[in-house]
Amino acid sequence: MSNEIVPDIGREPKQLLLERDSRFYECLSDQTRVANTFQELAALSTLRKRAAKLGFARASGTNPLRLAIIGGYSLYPLHDLIQHCLETADRTGEGQRVELLVGDYDNYISEIIQETSRLYEFGPDAIFVIPSGRHCEYSGRLFDSRSAQEAQARDIASNLLELCRIAHIRTNAEIILANYPLPSERDPGAYRTRTAGSTWTFRKIVNLELGLSAPSFIRMCDVEFLSARFGSLNAYDARAWFESKQPYSADFLVQVAKEVAHIVAGMRQGTKKVVAVDLDNTLWGGVVGDDGVDGIEIGDTSPRGEAFKAFQLYLKSLTERGILLAVCSKNDKAKAIEPFEKHPDMVLRLTDIVAFKANWEPKSDNLRRIAEELNLGMDSIVFVDDNPAEVEIVRQFAPDVCTVLLGPDPSDYIRLLQEGRYFEPVTLTSEDFDRVKQYQQESDREKLLTSSTDMAAYLRSLQMRAVVSEFQGIDVPRIAQLINKSNQFNLTTRRRTEAEVRAVMEDTSYLGFTVRLSDRFGDYGLIAVIICRVDGTTLEIETWLMSCRVLERQVEEEVINEIRRLAATRDCKVIRGRYVPTPKNGIVRGLYPRMGFTEVSTDNGQIVFELRDLVRPLAESAIRVERRAYDQVFSA
Amino acid sequence: MTRFSVLDRLQPVFDEVLLDPVTVSSELSAKDVPEWDSLTNISLMLAVEKHFGVRFNVGEVEATKNLGDLADLILRKLSK
Repeated sequence: MSNEIVPDIGREPKQLLLERDSRFYECLSDQTRVANTFQELAALSTLRKRAAKLGFARASGTNPLRLAIIGGYSLYPLHDLIQHCLETADRTGEGQRVELLVGDYDNYISEIIQETSRLYEFGPDAIFVIPSGRHCEYSGRLFDSRSAQEAQARDIASNLLELCRIAHIRTNAEIILANYPLPSERDPGAYRTRTAGSTWTFRKIVNLELGLSAPSFIRMCDVEFLSARFGSLNAYDARAWFESKQPYSADFLVQVAKEVAHIVAGMRQGTKKVVAVDLDNTLWGGVVGDDGVDGIEIGDTSPRGEAFKAFQLYLKSLTERGILLAVCSKNDKAKAIEPFEKHPDMVLRLTDIVAFKANWEPKSDNLRRIAEELNLGMDSIVFVDDNPAEVEIVRQFAPDVCTVLLGPDPSDYIRLLQEGRYFEPVTLTSEDFDRVKQYQQESDREKLLTSSTDMAAYLRSLQMRAVVSEFQGIDVPRIAQLINKSNQFNLTTRRRTEAEVRAVMEDTSYLGFTVRLSDRFGDYGLIAVIICRVDGTTLEIETWLMSCRVLERQVEEEVINEIRRLAATRDCKVIRGRYVPTPKNGIVRGLYPRMGFTEVSTDNGQIVFELRDLVRPLAESAIRVERRAYDQVFSA
Repeated sequence: MTRFSVLDRLQPVFDEVLLDPVTVSSELSAKDVPEWDSLTNISLMLAVEKHFGVRFNVGEVEATKNLGDLADLILRKLSK
């Protein structure tokens, strides 16, 4: 180790670059993520610049990020490290081009105040400000009154925030503000804690003021935290300050550069919204299918059980700040649910889970279903599993999903999940956070349900609206998708291709319609597909399927109302429905009888039902139907 | 150890840190090498310190005019 001049970290990309191998940028990105020392990161940055010079650049994004770096220090070579981290942040696809403005040494105050400065000429999207540490020491004496010391600290903080405000107002740029590292120097001993005049305590007060008073356009680069985590003794290098006015030690520059890149990435992408977790050996120890609900390890009776419980508590705390929790497990669903319902030491309950996928299908497929149900992109999901094979499958078949591989030790789980930094909130008022709120509608609906004992009152309170429409060309892909994917609420499970759906639209002996539903919490989209065929005076329901998200909402009643209305327009005397049992559609076994149909025959396991009383009044429901199928056609 | 052998041992350090091949000589300095910028200089000096097991005092490196001076500085450190 000690004889290595440059650590191994630059070797592989160097080789790939020499061979002009297209994996160079992926490798560069991966190594940048693990590089921890200045030499490592500088070597990678040199390779990146060299590749560009050789014309081996990758396609770069259309919108360059314009970043200004200003401060009370020499900002070379920090600017280079920041640029490198930003440009390599994306492993694949287009790189983020960065255009930099590097402020002059200790000139940030005038660069901000002077309206004609280079800063404003440059027109930055973001400004990183590293204020001078020399401006953040108490100018009086250690034994001055506490109120005088604190007043000066607050002044420094408010002046700095005012500078940021000016810069923001003039550029509309996001401001990334570095707060102050705490000194590692021994003097004046533990007395530092007893006076606000020591640099230690003084900077703590300034940092507190900055953090608690900063408006939302300021992202804090928490150097105090970073240097404490890194070790304050190693974060500062006096020689580097005297020689070239460096703010931090060479290796600590790396930490700050990575933090700035992380903050900038967060400004553009927003945080993740869903954490999808495995169950066995992730939420509890053991395998519930084998060990039974009494045999799993969870709770305070063993150290391992405590560790799993702590992990559940952490997940619960994520849900409390708006992260949605989903289950994605290879399991028998009935068994998988049991611990949530029955185990007294479980922290998480079914009400904490917005989507529960426990089956034997590939997890990548289940994650796709979770994304569909929540109406979110795959890239908003973070998948957490202890099984490397499952993580690999998701990486390959659902590459947009971020994955966290848990190790063998549950006491490490919280740290491993936090390491990815997927769920760090930016501000409580930001657009990202509002967006998260919007996806909590489902759980809001559940809360409303538990708060109202009367189902009818609950349904009325939802203020549901439905739009019924004959098949429209634009809906065909979604219709075909539902026809080919719906298994549970699907009476005949009859599959049709897009072409066959179009054929139904053309054929006048068919009547096909869809239902869209929305309520006061949001829009469910297209949730039901019905295809009927008219045969003389009989109208046969060939397909009736619905999204399970709208069960118990009286959509069934409105579907039958619509079918009866359509039957009347074609002078049909009988409506015939069919239940074709499959292993998955047990939930609709009793649907037709519930809708007033009578069983007339059984045919090869299929049950045929008929409704002949077509004069009785239509069913009442809490849904306001705003449009009906074939309206234009029939009114014409 | 001589100035020449120190320069000899500096060659692999420069080979590792710089991408373009550079022949180390006592007259060589940053202005002769395009990629020897401020970033590379910090990397080079950190690598030199590590490679020879020495630590330069504040201002010492800046006072060297070329690699010959740097080799002399390293020699002084090593002889202490």
